[in-house]
Amino acid sequence: MSSSALARLLKPVAALPAAMSISDVADRLLTAEHKDFLSLPVVDDDGRPLGLVSRSKLQDIFMQRFGRDLWGRRPVVEVMNPQPLIVSLETGLEEAARQITDQLQYPIVEDFVLVDGEGRYRGLGTVLDLLKAMEDRIAQRNRVLRKALIELRESQTQLVQAEKMASLGQMVAGVAHELNTPLGYVKNNVQLLRELIGPLFELAEAQAALGDCLNAADADEQALANALENAALARERAAPEMLAGDLEQLFADTQYGLEQIGELVVGLKDFARLDRAMSEEIDLNECVRSTLVIARNGIKDKVEVLTQLGELPRIACAPSQINQVLLNLLNNAAQAMERFGRILVRTWAEPDALCLSVQDNGCGMPPEVLKRIFDPFYTTKPVGQGTGLGLSISFKIVQDHGGSIRVASEVGRGTRFLIRLPLGQAATLQRSA
Amino acid sequence: MTQPIRILFIDDEERILRSLAMQFRRHYEVLTESDPQRALQRLQDEPVQIVVCDQRMPKMNGAQLLTRAQEIAPQTLRILLTGYSDLDAAVEALNGGGIFRYLTKPWDPQEMALTLRQAAEVAVRQSQVASLPASACPATALSVLLLDEAADTQACVEAFCQAGGHRLLRAASLDEALAQLNAEPVDVLVSDLRLAGEDTAPLLKSLAQAHPRLLSLVVTPFCDTQALLRLINEAQIFRYLPKPVRRGLFDKGLQAAAEQVARWRAEPVVPPARLAEAPKEAREREKVGSLLGLLGRLRQRLTV
Repeated sequence: MSSSALARLLKPVAALPAAMSISDVADRLLTAEHKDFLSLPVVDDDGRPLGLVSRSKLQDIFMQRFGRDLWGRRPVVEVMNPQPLIVSLETGLEEAARQITDQLQYPIVEDFVLVDGEGRYRGLGTVLDLLKAMEDRIAQRNRVLRKALIELRESQTQLVQAEKMASLGQMVAGVAHELNTPLGYVKNNVQLLRELIGPLFELAEAQAALGDCLNAADADEQALANALENAALARERAAPEMLAGDLEQLFADTQYGLEQIGELVVGLKDFARLDRAMSEEIDLNECVRSTLVIARNGIKDKVEVLTQLGELPRIACAPSQINQVLLNLLNNAAQAMERFGRILVRTWAEPDALCLSVQDNGCGMPPEVLKRIFDPFYTTKPVGQGTGLGLSISFKIVQDHGGSIRVASEVGRGTRFLIRLPLGQAATLQRSA
Repeated sequence: MTQPIRILFIDDEERILRSLAMQFRRHYEVLTESDPQRALQRLQDEPVQIVVCDQRMPKMNGAQLLTRAQEIAPQTLRILLTGYSDLDAAVEALNGGGIFRYLTKPWDPQEMALTLRQAAEVAVRQSQVASLPASACPATALSVLLLDEAADTQACVEAFCQAGGHRLLRAASLDEALAQLNAEPVDVLVSDLRLAGEDTAPLLKSLAQAHPRLLSLVVTPFCDTQALLRLINEAQIFRYLPKPVRRGLFDKGLQAAAEQVARWRAEPVVPPARLAEAPKEAREREKVGSLLGLLGRLRQRLTV
């Protein structure tokens, strides 16, 4: 395909024999069919190019006084350029362009010679045509690249979205499951309360009946005795003194459970921050707390999470994105545990930045893994358990906040991620992910 | 009942423990522990018939705890109670902890009461026979029915039967399986959840009722947590082995089944060891009902 590209540039021009006079060459250059060419080729008897004679060279000669008279009858070989640009038709377009531009001199006064595989003259090519061909080709490449870029951007958006949905799904599942614990005992307690207060109603009824009996003027001894006994029995069954403790406990636990459920729902809302703008004055410690509410249950059988949250000024950031980064780091840390471990989350303020570190005492990472953890699609988890995008997205989120994320790790000792978010960077915050 | 049934509830949330204790203290002797280590210690020190354990707890999960519990006190009936429908936990609790039921939070009070009643029933029957240690039970030849056409399953089961001198029966369809079960005594069933395009779950559930001493090993490429939970509760399957088949896991499962059968055979009086829940889904319940009819000869043979 490349060689045919060059063939398209070929213009068949009759070559000049070496002995042709300069005068005849000048006449030929003046003919209409040759007026597009800057030069004409000279070949030997075997058809191999000897050189190029240029229009400008002849003009130089004829502009001299008596130029035509002095030079006109001499053979063209004496004034031709014996080292013209020669390009084989088998050369690719790019390679040809490279050869030609490497040797081209200014001003451009010659065309270039095209030869076949055996080195025999086939025609001329003009630099202008070559440039046009190159431009077309570059334009075509650009179209392909632009299309590829658009496709790449689309699939990246989809992947980022998929990762976001995956972490969101994981988070929602985690919270739904966490709701099941308080829901479990609240539901059971309500049922128990219903069963426990049954006898109380019976007692109240028996006592009311007894009261009626006592008040009734015509009540006989037997009815009164029955009512008394019923009331006593009901009292025994209901055992209100013992019941009081149980009811107190059940109500307290139920109330606690409902508060717990409420807290989780608020946590979910705080975590997602769907009801707030992308960026605002945020307390980073609040992000840490609400993410811990969400993450806690999912990781509690693997790690204990400790926090040391320092006094922090508010910062402009996208809290739901920061939460996503934090959740990702916490989940990764929990998964790095070979046995029950510990995660320490710290925040502190520096003069120009807020810092947040997540440190675990898990299995750590060797240097070859560490080097690649922010690469998209890099994962050490089994197929189907990680997209390999979590940390690369975290990296991008922090970067979009004008911050940095660094990591240090030692095999067998653990890993520490450090995030720095610069203060006063609100203007540079980009909308992303 | 000579002694009351003792139930140990384990959960890291004290309120769950209080709620359950209050619900069941009138019917059973209820013990509670919020710390897994203390719970295991208690199993070592005291007789406990039923353990009900949460899955997600600090330091040790429920599946791990029940696996330890089975080693410490194999006679206990083990129940997992969890807010998470977690496939890995269910598989681990079944294969390692040999659980009797997998219950989810929030639980239905009536259902929980029924489950504990069933567990207590099995516990009472078990207490009438002293369990023999595996070493005291001579290895015995089994008959194994295989309902899976896959080459690697076949290879595993064939190798196991050849090595142990067990009898291997095969069926290529549900009808053939029913015929085999009616005609031949079967101790162990190895089955995919699909056989010649048919769902085998109803058969497994029917067998849990018709043939409570048959041990079912399910081999399947499907990873549906809900389906597995129903197989645990309604078919009381013995093992759940994921496909592609892992040889070591498969052999261990078959070996454990062989030991269980040997133990049962060595016992003079034989209590049925399983008590499955009726299928929750109406259509499946119907299917199980009609399969039970088709298994008439098997049931007749077993009651004789």
